[in-house]
Amino acid sequence: MRKANFIVSGTFTLFAIFIIAISLGYPPSNHGVPGPGMFPIIIASLIILSALTLFIFTLRMPKELDTTIDLKSKNVVNVYITMGGLVLYFVLLPLVGFVVTTSIMLILFIKWFSKRAWWKTILISVLFTVAIYLLFGSVLNVPMNYGLLI
Amino acid sequence: MLLEVLNSVFSVQIFLFIILGVFTGICIGSLPGLTATMGVALVLPLTFGMEATPGILLLIGVYVGAIYGGSISAILLRTPGTPAAAATVLDGYEFSKRGESGRAMGISTVSSFLGGVVSVLALWLISPQLAKLALRFSAPEFFLLAVFGLSIIASISGNSLAKGVLCGALGISLSFIGIDGITGYPRFTFNNINLLSGMSFIPVMIGLFAMSQAFSTVENIFTPDQVTQKISKVWPSKKDWKVILKTAPLSGAIGTIIGIVPGAGAEIGAFVSYSQAKRSSRHPELFGTGIPEGIAAPEGGNNGVTGGALIPMLTMGVPGDAVAAILIGALTVQGLQPGPLLFTEHTTLVYSIFLGMFIANVTMLVLGLSSLKLFVKVLSVPKAILTPMIFVLCVVGSYAINTNFFDVGVMLFFGILGYFLQKADVSVSPAVLGLILGPMAESNFRRALLMSEGSYSIFVASPIAWVFVALTLVTLLGPVVTERLKKRKVA
Repeated sequence: MRKANFIVSGTFTLFAIFIIAISLGYPPSNHGVPGPGMFPIIIASLIILSALTLFIFTLRMPKELDTTIDLKSKNVVNVYITMGGLVLYFVLLPLVGFVVTTSIMLILFIKWFSKRAWWKTILISVLFTVAIYLLFGSVLNVPMNYGLLI
Repeated sequence: MLLEVLNSVFSVQIFLFIILGVFTGICIGSLPGLTATMGVALVLPLTFGMEATPGILLLIGVYVGAIYGGSISAILLRTPGTPAAAATVLDGYEFSKRGESGRAMGISTVSSFLGGVVSVLALWLISPQLAKLALRFSAPEFFLLAVFGLSIIASISGNSLAKGVLCGALGISLSFIGIDGITGYPRFTFNNINLLSGMSFIPVMIGLFAMSQAFSTVENIFTPDQVTQKISKVWPSKKDWKVILKTAPLSGAIGTIIGIVPGAGAEIGAFVSYSQAKRSSRHPELFGTGIPEGIAAPEGGNNGVTGGALIPMLTMGVPGDAVAAILIGALTVQGLQPGPLLFTEHTTLVYSIFLGMFIANVTMLVLGLSSLKLFVKVLSVPKAILTPMIFVLCVVGSYAINTNFFDVGVMLFFGILGYFLQKADVSVSPAVLGLILGPMAESNFRRALLMSEGSYSIFVASPIAWVFVALTLVTLLGPVVTERLKKRKVA
């Protein structure tokens, strides 16, 4: 947890510095009334203060209280692969179309996660995709037709 | 007005939506890994095309049902379906070990109902008065109210105050994106047209609560699902009724009070009610061994939070918990602004919500007592199939709000961020609450200074303002001072 806390405090500090750097370029206060950059600077300062507090508390944390965070086990790697798959799905979705991309994504994930027979996996995936397509497209009038296919 | 409310709620369509909401909520709540917040976030996109009353009542049905549904797996599998049912595990599972899971679920169902009804009554009685008081607030008071809300959220969420503040501040920072409401100046838009109108917070919420939770489920996706046992004799006995009637209403009242506090959710309500019942019991040593009080108290308490959380949300626009934050999103999509004016401009809607929430609790009781076997079957739906379907619902839900793929990207980004924040033991709730309270704080801060021509004394010019300043200081410094005093005593 110590390492994670240091990363959290470091990342948030960089984020706050980024906010301040941009906010300084905004129009200044006018007759005491704050400009658009003032509140972001206040909040960014609060972030730096909290990140510093977290950093100091973590430094003073007894080593025996430290816990490890699982970031490399097989289970977590599965999450990373899932994230990658979903990013790819997000990229392909507007290009190919909802029904085809979603059906394929579901087939691959369900087959991987559940190891069910192919025909059952395909049936579940296609039925669910079509149900969502009809619910959002026809009942809720959300435009669901985009991409090269459907 | 009464006739209008009755007319608005007593229709087949509204009843069907409430039943559908409660049913969906119980199913979602009973499945470990799917929380009430996730359920409401996933159902939210379905309400975009609906009118306000059925849409909000559908979501309230999901909320009420999911908080109750969590107890089913808590009792049967020793795994709380939602964090709100964590306290129910302590005694609930002991009943199952004795083969009395039906009895435990009967106690849980009736207690949840009574807790929910107490909270609806409180909502009905307190909200209009609080809204009247809030009508007297102007910019400085609203700014200080938002600061107070943020201070509570930061101090009670997670194990670290610093992490709570960081996450809350992250949420506020997101609210800066878009055209500044006062000067019209574009902030943090980076010439991206999608960012000009600001960060749409529904995709952020779906990402932080639903997608990140689904990622966490993937970690254990290959662990076999637990087998459930059969249940019978759900209706509580005379002896159990006595315990329920003595414990659940009081726990419901405790839950309601906790629900009113911004940021304190059903989980805290359940644990506080459980420890109160244990403290006031003549046989506290029996808690944890499977006694009816051990189920009635947390279940009354967590459902008590449901109505309580809506009180600050409806009257002041300050969400009582993460679900209330999503409900603010649902109201905003309908073109409604939660706050005191809602009570004067949309009175029928407000009272329809009260009545509809009561009906949702009755529906929960009826479904719970009559269809428990069906809900137990839901537990056997494999997460290996359910989780990919949740991915699709998250994607379609975020796309549907503005029919924009940018929002899907935002959802995915916050889903990944939420997963890593959870890994680092950072609670994500403050971010969403910060995203809602941030604009309220900023716009009122600047409006107040416009009113006073730059003088900061306006923030301490009224007694209400002083009350909020004092409450904020107590909230932020209270835990630090108590900790110091404890250490001194030990030394």
